[in-house]
Amino acid sequence: MKKITQLTLTSLALVLLILTPACRTKKTPVKPEVIPTATMDVPRVPDPPMPVETTVPDEPDFVEQSPTEDVIPSDIEALNRWVRDKGYVRDAFYNYDEATLDDAAQAALSASATWLKGKDGAGYSLLVEGHCDERGTEQYNLALGDKRANSAKDYLVTLGIDAGRIRTVSYGEERPFEEGHDDSSWSQNRRAHLVLVR
Amino acid sequence: MKKLILLSIAVLSIGAAAHAQTDITSTMTAGQAAQIVRIAVPFPELKPPAAPAPALVDTGKVREGFFGPLTRDIAYSGIFALAALPPSVPVTPELMKRVEAQFYLQLNVWTEGAEYVVEARLVDQTGAAQLKKRYRGPEAALARTAHTLANELMRTFNNRPGVFLSQIAFASNRSGNWEVWLMDWDGANQRQITRHGALSILPSWSPDNERMVYTSFARGTSDMYIINRRGGGRMRINSGLALNTSATFSPVSNDIAFVGSVRGNPDIYLIKDDGSNLRRLTTTNSIESTPEWSPNGRQIAFTSGRTGTPQIYVMDAEGTNERRISFEGNWNDDAVFSPDGEKVAYTSRVNGRFQIRIANLITNESSIIAGEGSNEQPTWSPDGQWIAFQSDRKGRKWQVFRMRADGSDLLQLTFDGENKEPDWSKKPE
Repeated sequence: MKKITQLTLTSLALVLLILTPACRTKKTPVKPEVIPTATMDVPRVPDPPMPVETTVPDEPDFVEQSPTEDVIPSDIEALNRWVRDKGYVRDAFYNYDEATLDDAAQAALSASATWLKGKDGAGYSLLVEGHCDERGTEQYNLALGDKRANSAKDYLVTLGIDAGRIRTVSYGEERPFEEGHDDSSWSQNRRAHLVLVR
Repeated sequence: MKKLILLSIAVLSIGAAAHAQTDITSTMTAGQAAQIVRIAVPFPELKPPAAPAPALVDTGKVREGFFGPLTRDIAYSGIFALAALPPSVPVTPELMKRVEAQFYLQLNVWTEGAEYVVEARLVDQTGAAQLKKRYRGPEAALARTAHTLANELMRTFNNRPGVFLSQIAFASNRSGNWEVWLMDWDGANQRQITRHGALSILPSWSPDNERMVYTSFARGTSDMYIINRRGGGRMRINSGLALNTSATFSPVSNDIAFVGSVRGNPDIYLIKDDGSNLRRLTTTNSIESTPEWSPNGRQIAFTSGRTGTPQIYVMDAEGTNERRISFEGNWNDDAVFSPDGEKVAYTSRVNGRFQIRIANLITNESSIIAGEGSNEQPTWSPDGQWIAFQSDRKGRKWQVFRMRADGSDLLQLTFDGENKEPDWSKKPE
């Protein structure tokens, strides 16, 4: 606990140090030239481009622990969040009342297959959950979700993933990702959701 | 046989005035009114019939637990009308004539120790008792006493019992997970049956009202389970297939129809209730789902996406003789046969919303029972007079409602959490 507080204070001080010169430059702005705008039809020379102010990035030297780019979380839930954030494992999305894969869905599954075949992913199995939006009926959607999950599984198998590594389950419309009742929520809820399992 | 002395009846309790007594016949045509029996049902005397002084009985408990359910059953029976009684006036033959009551239900309720005793006499205009019943039980049994008595009244006039003791199974998420629950036909006594702590849905009754089959994701995938109505005897049926959804007991054998899937091809299958003798009924590459038996067990209705949209089909129980029966709307599902086998109710999309549609299998005509919101998963009462269904008309949360098969007398049955997928028990009692 104490260690963390110390660490936080140190990094805060560092950040302040770094930011100070940046703040100073901000406090002495160049006064922009006032250009009369009475005659709008007169073509004007655009202002020269202004620099965009950004924060100074933390340099690796300042951080006590220097994490390498690819430390894979050991916790399975953290790992699933991580591969999703990195885009290594991606869900396939479907059109309304469809279980076929369009180009975007195939691209998502191809990316996922690449990671699953790589050194980091090869040790994991996959659960593919089929999901539907709320606009259908529950019982038919459970069957539709099964078809979706299996269309994703079949495609992953054609990409070289061993079928024995992939399990499927259909949640129909029982577990929506988005609770809204609009097109954007519905499109988020029609998917094959890829979950890494040990 | 003790003759009834109507004059000895004490003044009506104040409780009677608290109950609105529905005058059903006023909305009936002359032809229908001829079949309606008008009956005077004053609030019970809270003492034994011949006792000199009333014992101490909780008026509120008798009203909420017994008299309320009883008068609601009678009002919704379809064959009785409650006579409009003036409060606090003894029911005499003269009063019966004045309020046009053909019968008078004399009720006495008292307590003996921890038990309630209910005595009922159905008296005609001559004072002769047509029905005499006495029930005894704890306070918790008062509602079932009321339903049992209402069923006896139905049997007396209709030669068959009412549906007042029938049960409705449903799925509720009020415990934090979707689990299977049961309730009485009027929404009372809602109680949790399954405790998987996991998504457990789509309950369906056995024909003897003793067991239910449903789908649970307790093992991380969807499996079929059977459980008895009191929550015991749970067993998993291993079909060896994926999905295992929409399971439903045959009305005439130990077969269960369900949706199974092999490699993403959902079809209708049969399996025995001990998990043996798996048989495949449909063989297309399209989605088949939602099987439901005809009352005689000879046919199975189901949903198929073979034409591109989900539509209702009927086939023989052997999987032969498939024919489409829904022709309107681009999404139809949840077909259920009426108890007489002449009609099928199903969920049908109309103008972007789901509505309950009832199709007559003899005339091939169908009509919508229009309601607000989305209305899905109909289930018939065992006498075919009522349909329970789920609707999101109250704030986009699923709740279970009950209505007559013509859409009248709508009543919301659930309020706690979200509730859906009602399945009405198959036998009236």
